Amino acid sequence: MANHPKTAVSIGPADLKNCVMTASGTFGYAGEFAGFMDLNRLGGIIVKGLSLKPSGGNPPPRIVETACGMLNAIGLENVGLDAFIEKKLPFLKTLSTPVFVNIYGTTIAEYAELAQRLEEIPEIAGLEVNISCPNVKKGGIAFGADPATAHDVVTAVRRKTTKSLMVKLSPNVTDITHIACSVVDAGADALSLINTITGMAIDVETRRPILANITGGLSGPAIKPVALRMVWQVAQKVDIPIVGVGGIMGTGDALEFLIAGASAVQIGTANFVNPKTAVEVVDGIEAWMKANEIENIHEIIGSIRV
Amino acid sequence: MGLSCEGTLLRAVPGQFIMVRLKAGNDLLLRRPFSIHGIVTSRGNPRGIELLYKVVGKGTFRLSEYREGDSLDVIGPLGNGFTISESYERIHIVSGGIGVAPLRFLAMHIERVTGGKVKPQVFLGGRSDADLLCTKEFIDLGLPVQITTDDGSSGDQCLITDPWEVSVSVNPPQMIYACGPMSMLQCIGGIVSKHGLLCEASIESAMACGIGACLGCVVRAKDINEQYKHVCIDGPVFNIQDLKI
Ligand SMILES: Cc1cc2nc3c(=O)[nH]c(=O)nc-3n(C[C@H](O)[C@H](O)[C@H](O)COP(=O)(O)OP(=O)(O)OC[C@H]3O[C@@H](n4cnc5c(N)ncnc54)[C@H](O)[C@@H]3O)c2cc1C
Ligand SMILES: Cc1cc2nc3c(=O)[nH]c(=O)nc-3n(C[C@H](O)[C@H](O)[C@H](O)COP(=O)(O)O)c2cc1C
Ligand code: FES
Repeated sequence: MANHPKTAVSIGPADLKNCVMTASGTFGYAGEFAGFMDLNRLGGIIVKGLSLKPSGGNPPPRIVETACGMLNAIGLENVGLDAFIEKKLPFLKTLSTPVFVNIYGTTIAEYAELAQRLEEIPEIAGLEVNISCPNVKKGGIAFGADPATAHDVVTAVRRKTTKSLMVKLSPNVTDITHIACSVVDAGADALSLINTITGMAIDVETRRPILANITGGLSGPAIKPVALRMVWQVAQKVDIPIVGVGGIMGTGDALEFLIAGASAVQIGTANFVNPKTAVEVVDGIEAWMKANEIENIHEIIGSIRV
Repeated sequence: MGLSCEGTLLRAVPGQFIMVRLKAGNDLLLRRPFSIHGIVTSRGNPRGIELLYKVVGKGTFRLSEYREGDSLDVIGPLGNGFTISESYERIHIVSGGIGVAPLRFLAMHIERVTGGKVKPQVFLGGRSDADLLCTKEFIDLGLPVQITTDDGSSGDQCLITDPWEVSVSVNPPQMIYACGPMSMLQCIGGIVSKHGLLCEASIESAMACGIGACLGCVVRAKDINEQYKHVCIDGPVFNIQDLKI
């Protein structure tokens, strides 16, 4: 086939040159990976979860490997908005790849203020709203666990931003499609799913939890079947683009998500295992399309046969 | 274990580490950190690096199954090495168990850069004789070596910090380099601050990425404003006084 396969996708107003992004919290602020790849070959970069004020995060141990995955309880450690703008943004501005900022707050007002301040920065393509964190005003229940609260957060952010607005859903809910529909109604441009699944690990000898935080978020290949199922379920209910995340280690995994209905994918834990994974998936998808004589990625998205 | 390699790994400095992929399918998902134990040379040219490891779990067991001719996927050199200065003439090297891994590289490096003029005093501790590694290498460099074991199977039966503290109070060194279990480093930290000494320690922590991306590898910082330091990019070698261990 003579033509180069078309892998470009749009996530709301943001145009990505291909469908491969890097997941928040697993790719730092991108500079960490500059030695491993040409960052401009990626479809999108999502930086570490950002809050208004710097946050130190949880005490160690924060990570532990588990069967086919890992648990993390980083506790959303981040430099805070001001230091992000001063220290991290200058490098990100040099990239042609669209950058999304993953934001979180403990009140709706904090989410809104973050969205407002980031709106002023033209080099930021979009926001990814992390609604998996605890709502201090509602006794610490995650914003993402209740459709009405999730709706309130997204409505508040939507009022303050014209950028691409992606909402990251938590899998730790009874029915993810309820939250998804509620967030779409509030004006989201896209949904990304899934965040980590809450889990824990215990040291048998000491009978203590291995993580200082007791529980942590499970990621990696272990969660892929769950993520895939949720993407497939949500794809049947919403009309906006879905970005699939969870256990993608290579091209085959990414294709599964596209077939299930995702318009794009995010590479997370795999960045730690093989820092070149994301570009390898970019190349891998193109190669697979060529081999299967598929000209446009949209022929794959949601092409599941059931 | 010796690994032949090219490029920047051959310019690694003592204290730096590598992340090794030992993956078997999706098991052993995360890379494991190992200090660089030495640079292998042939006819004066660097040709590879050496690792020294102790089997403590699945990953290190897998590493022990590698045979000559196998290839290993590594990332590195990573992190910051020990501060080496010509002005340090009285140096102590204090090691507990497998902590000797980066310290032997350090001793060889000091020997080379000072032309053998500076002879660090070496303190090696272990649970038993089998835990005392590299004793011969230090002796071959002409360094004075003091040995202790918990069970008395070699050297004095006490903690290595016991004879070391005596030595420190008799003739305080200008620099102390240390690596070993947390309990040993805690003890050293206390003595260092009591006597107002300078000590750099190589610290271990669980790691996922080794490059500053996951934020998993923290240790508590003494500066409350800073709260935590990241072992992979701020260390693994730290001024022991900067940490709350
Ligand atoms: C910067 C750095 C340099 C290191 N250099 C060396 C080195 O040169 N040689 C060497 O042998 N080891 C070194 N280590 C420790 C080494 O990384 C661990 O021993 C290894 O990751 C254990 O992997 P595993 O799969 O065998 O054990 P796991 O299955 O992960 O764990 C098995 C058991 O080992 C314990 N364990 C886990 N991590 C460590 C650790 N960091 N130290 C001690 N016990 C641990 C666990 O608590 C568990 O009980 C270094 C660590 C760091 C952070
Ligand atoms: C160490 C670590 C830190 C993470 N930090 C964040 C974060 O700050 N914000 C967020 O929305 N998701 C965060 N995540 C979740 C990932 O972005 C991703 O949703 C999840 O890990 C599942 O994908 P994976 O299996 O490919 O890693 C983090 C995950 C890991 C492993
Ligand atoms: S090991 Fe990932 S940040 Fe240090």
